[in-house]
Amino acid sequence: MKPFQYFRPTKLKEAVDAVASYPNARFIAGGTNLIDLMKRGIAAPEKLVDINHLPLKKIEKREGMLRIGALALNSDVAQHKLVLEKHPLLAQALNAGASGQLRNMATVGGNILQQTRCTYFYDTALPCNKRKPESGCSALGGINRNHAIFGIGEKIDHKSCIAVHPSDMCVALLALDATVLVMGPAGERRIHFADFHRLPGDRPDLNANLESNELILAVEIPDSPFTKHIHYLKVRDRASYAFALVSVAVALEIDQNRIKTARLVMGGVAHKPWRMHDAEKVLLGQTVSENLFRQAAEAGMIGAVASEHNAYKLKLAPNAMVEALKIAAQIS
Amino acid sequence: MFEEKPLNGETPENDDVGHQEDRRFFLKQSIALAGLTFVPGGFLQAGEQDEVPVGNAEKVKLTLTINGAKRRLTIDPRVTLLDLLREKSGLTGTKKGCDFGQCGACTVHVDGQRVLSCLTFAVMQHGRKVITIEGLASNEQLHPMQEAFIKHDGFQCGYCTPGQIMSAVSCIREGRANSETEIQEYMSGNLCRCGAYPNIVNAIMEVKTNGQKV
Amino acid sequence: MMTKPFPDKLETDVSLDRVDGRSKVTGAATYSAEYQFENLAHAVLVTSTIARGEILDMDIRQAEAAPGVLAVISHLNSPGIPGYAPAKKPAERVPVGTSFRVFYDELIYFDGQPVAMVVAGSFEQARYAASLIQIKYESETHQTDFNANLAKAMVPLNVQKNKNSPFQDYNRGDAEAIKIAEVKIEATYTIPTQHHQPLEPHAIIAVWEAVDKLTIYDKNQGVKSAQGNLAQAFKLPRENVKVISKFIGGAFGSGIRVWPHTTAAVLAAKIVNRPVKLVLGRELMFTSVGYRPYTVQKVSVGAGKDGLLKAIVHDGTGQTSAYEEHLERTILASRAMYACPNVATRYRLLSLDVNTPTWMRGPGDATGMFALESALDEMAFALNVDPLVFRIRNHADSDPEQNLEWSEKSLKECYQLGAEKFGWNKRQLQPRSIQSNGMLVGYGMASSLYGFHRHPSVAKAVMLANGSVIVQSATMDIGPGTGTAMTQIASKILGISPKKVRFDLGDSSLPDAPGQNGSSTIPSVGSAVHVACESLKKKLAELAAAMPDSGSGVSYADILKFHKLPQVEVMEESKSGPERDQYSMYSFGCHFVEVHVSPVTGEVRVKRVVTCADVGKIINYKTARSQSIGGVVGGIGMALMEESVMDHRYGRYVTSDFASYHIPVHADIPQIEVHYIDKPDVYVNPIGSKGLGEIAIVGVAAAVANAVFHATGKRIRELPITPDKLV
Repeated sequence: MKPFQYFRPTKLKEAVDAVASYPNARFIAGGTNLIDLMKRGIAAPEKLVDINHLPLKKIEKREGMLRIGALALNSDVAQHKLVLEKHPLLAQALNAGASGQLRNMATVGGNILQQTRCTYFYDTALPCNKRKPESGCSALGGINRNHAIFGIGEKIDHKSCIAVHPSDMCVALLALDATVLVMGPAGERRIHFADFHRLPGDRPDLNANLESNELILAVEIPDSPFTKHIHYLKVRDRASYAFALVSVAVALEIDQNRIKTARLVMGGVAHKPWRMHDAEKVLLGQTVSENLFRQAAEAGMIGAVASEHNAYKLKLAPNAMVEALKIAAQIS
Repeated sequence: MFEEKPLNGETPENDDVGHQEDRRFFLKQSIALAGLTFVPGGFLQAGEQDEVPVGNAEKVKLTLTINGAKRRLTIDPRVTLLDLLREKSGLTGTKKGCDFGQCGACTVHVDGQRVLSCLTFAVMQHGRKVITIEGLASNEQLHPMQEAFIKHDGFQCGYCTPGQIMSAVSCIREGRANSETEIQEYMSGNLCRCGAYPNIVNAIMEVKTNGQKV
Repeated sequence: MMTKPFPDKLETDVSLDRVDGRSKVTGAATYSAEYQFENLAHAVLVTSTIARGEILDMDIRQAEAAPGVLAVISHLNSPGIPGYAPAKKPAERVPVGTSFRVFYDELIYFDGQPVAMVVAGSFEQARYAASLIQIKYESETHQTDFNANLAKAMVPLNVQKNKNSPFQDYNRGDAEAIKIAEVKIEATYTIPTQHHQPLEPHAIIAVWEAVDKLTIYDKNQGVKSAQGNLAQAFKLPRENVKVISKFIGGAFGSGIRVWPHTTAAVLAAKIVNRPVKLVLGRELMFTSVGYRPYTVQKVSVGAGKDGLLKAIVHDGTGQTSAYEEHLERTILASRAMYACPNVATRYRLLSLDVNTPTWMRGPGDATGMFALESALDEMAFALNVDPLVFRIRNHADSDPEQNLEWSEKSLKECYQLGAEKFGWNKRQLQPRSIQSNGMLVGYGMASSLYGFHRHPSVAKAVMLANGSVIVQSATMDIGPGTGTAMTQIASKILGISPKKVRFDLGDSSLPDAPGQNGSSTIPSVGSAVHVACESLKKKLAELAAAMPDSGSGVSYADILKFHKLPQVEVMEESKSGPERDQYSMYSFGCHFVEVHVSPVTGEVRVKRVVTCADVGKIINYKTARSQSIGGVVGGIGMALMEESVMDHRYGRYVTSDFASYHIPVHADIPQIEVHYIDKPDVYVNPIGSKGLGEIAIVGVAAAVANAVFHATGKRIRELPITPDKLV
């Protein structure tokens, strides 16, 4: 690990300026991902700006929304009264991720910005376009059991990346139509959650549409009817403390057995949380049934492309969608 | 003849390392207070010399309360809380299992919450209160969770044990020990390769059921 | 004769709490990396990133110039290990059978090979400097893909040279019998590479006390063998090497050998003339300390419609390195397990450009019994017979391989007890016959066996003037509770409280004992402790006989006081007698498992396990039970999640941490019911105990796989059984 300077500001502007004014400076919050990356030599900031003492921990009700400060801990969010009451899907997703200890450290902002868990990204001896653009993607033609089936793009070439975004929380946030509030040297701006994370395209090194000197201040979740018919389903290789093979966040508004609104988002299938718009369309206005859910899931899978070791996701993903929809709709 | 004295090299009772760090800190602090600003400008906040860790790339100083004792240390900012405990404070009860936040062996309590000491730089914990396995028992009386682990044989090799115990105490404090299934889920961040899991769960269940203060 | 009663009443007989429990729950137990030294230097290893080839150039200038660096060591500047043969110029690949030599020459034999070591004042400094070393390699084509190279597997050279090797091709009865069996199944079973991954990474502190005197605090499973190995490597008199290994944070076989990193740390300490600490990073635990080898087995089973086995043909091929052969018992169980008249086995090795595998819990048998016990289940299904009934019908009443009586065998009692506790009789033959809450429920079982191992062992027992006893032997405790069991044996024989017994282990200066492996500790060292304590008791009784009879009994302290003795000591060796050749000695057992499988996601959860073992006399029920549970947990990991995956384009593991190499977590493990027959085996040793560590895991993976078949109707023959294989 490269030596670094340490700075602990207490004011937002100080923090943003500190990163903006130093060539290789990084914000650090919970540290659960960045320190891991630094130990492995994947991230090598020369200055760490510790933002843990900025006033960004609040979880509060605002006009038409719930606002969650970027430094709110995953564990605090998961058990917060307002979250449980208004957005239980978010609490479910958070509790499905990591471990008790990690949730006590990881922040909402850090969770959003966490790196992929593609093992090639973590091995500095091997090519990886995300770590080192245009060095090649080792997962293509390599071990790609955990990799993406959506959003890979038309052409696969030397710039490609088939890594997936590992967050559980983000899958729920996309389903809940959240917005990310950020602050940079030029001031604040809002980014719709659907536009926050990127597909790899030609720049797989970039995970999000965020400048390195921009700081996430909060996540805003609009009030919604999604309190009853929701479910977060996570499929993994062991019963807990593992990243998803695939995961599904479902949020439905059901009126007299008819689906008024539907949100269906998958994790573990793409470079970003993957919203199943086509599946949602199938569900809209229809009467709940397993058959309908199967049709929706099949519609959602259109365009999925498997690599050598992850063809099972083509079957697992729709199965998981149907199961999550059934649980959310409370049919068995 | 048989002698019961400790082997050469075993951990001495007192903690010399920490004391030495204290002395060095005081020297440097007095220099700083005398107005010799060896620390780059902009890193010192006016009037906060004592509260805010400051420093350049080589050394930062910080204050931590570890198991009730306030310690002032000057360290390389790259030192994790785990390495500070094990390498610089003589507190080797907290274990390094993976160093990547994937095993839970390094679990300690910071301001009462269980966290992974391998995934935080010590300097980030400046001003906080850290409790390690060595600080869980009060004097000679073991903590109820420690007693329960012995009774239920909640370990074999013992290496994951301090982390399991620190996590188990938190599991009850967090209100997540209401059933076997809940305990299993909320303890899943603590790996045990010897496979003592059922015994650990039984130990936690007993402490919880007995309503002992943890 | 000495008059009774003894002054102390036994507090606990069969379930003494661990004698080191308090030190483990308080963090006071000192593991290898935790000894404190002034002037301690920290070492970090740099390892190869190619699987075969050579180092063309190594630029260490930046590393050497980095703050705090004391030395950068590689083949370029190593003063050499005195015990190695001199390096040749130009370098030549070593013949098979040569242990890996660290920093020896520029040749690369496997990915992850140690090529340089940085020693610095702090861990942070060493790690950073290590990252600054630039290495240029010339790669040669490597072969790491087992399946792509299977045709190159051969009879191990070891076996070619040794006519009496148990790994010679074996034929019992008629080799053709399999062809004419009424019912026949044939299947191929694959075990991927699996790693021990104890929670404590391997670690050493090396201290040169003088120019020819070395002390190491090291994680290993045998202080005496480590002592001998290092004495040889550094050409020191054996007594000048001291190995201290008091607490070992798990090992499961990874510490049986002395690995290159240990030698490297000793060398580094010599070079910098300071104590040097080296702790392997978790990623290095995949390439530095061995693994359970990738193994492919083909098993054919023939049976009559009467449910009797007619023939078993078991072929096994395991992976090894290009420089050493590692042989395992893989196919041996098939010769002894069942009463089958016609049995043939073949064992082959495949050399690849990988590091050498090693013994991992239940070595060979955990692998082989996965195949045999899966195949038996397949046959039972083909015959439409209950798998347990099928096994009982083919029970071997004597050892069919050696034609010897068993020293003791209560496997039928195990079957009965296990089945009863599990509720096996509720099982229906057809798969997919039980569902619960939308989950497919399956019951599976498997048998277990493990050969008996006992090695000559010495124990010293010393009665002190105050009536307390110190017992010593250079044995180990990697977790099972050696000290606790030995304390219990001593306390029982001497009739004193366990609190008055201290048992010393993990120090090479103690009396000779084998390393902790092959489930041999209780049988070997337990026997030595037994004999030593008996001998001590006899000696004290003789001393007591010389005392005037007070009529009210005499305590040990009285005896020493009367004779004005500061202590009375004995040292005794214990080893196998002629019974070893007169009987066939094995431990036996069985496991019953209930799994729930999601038909939607393919996720498998083990819901219930009953395990039953016939291992002779149980010394301590509490610690024995934990060991059995641990074996089952290891078997569940083996069955459902453990797999070290290599990208063969690079010959490099893509699983390099606990996020990519899964071992079970709390949520994977249900309550596990453990039962013992607890009947002493009078022929094995004076305490009647056989080992437990291995048999606890042998067969578990098959029981899980068989349960998965019963739940789903899908037979998974390639471990681990992950959701992708079932969805």
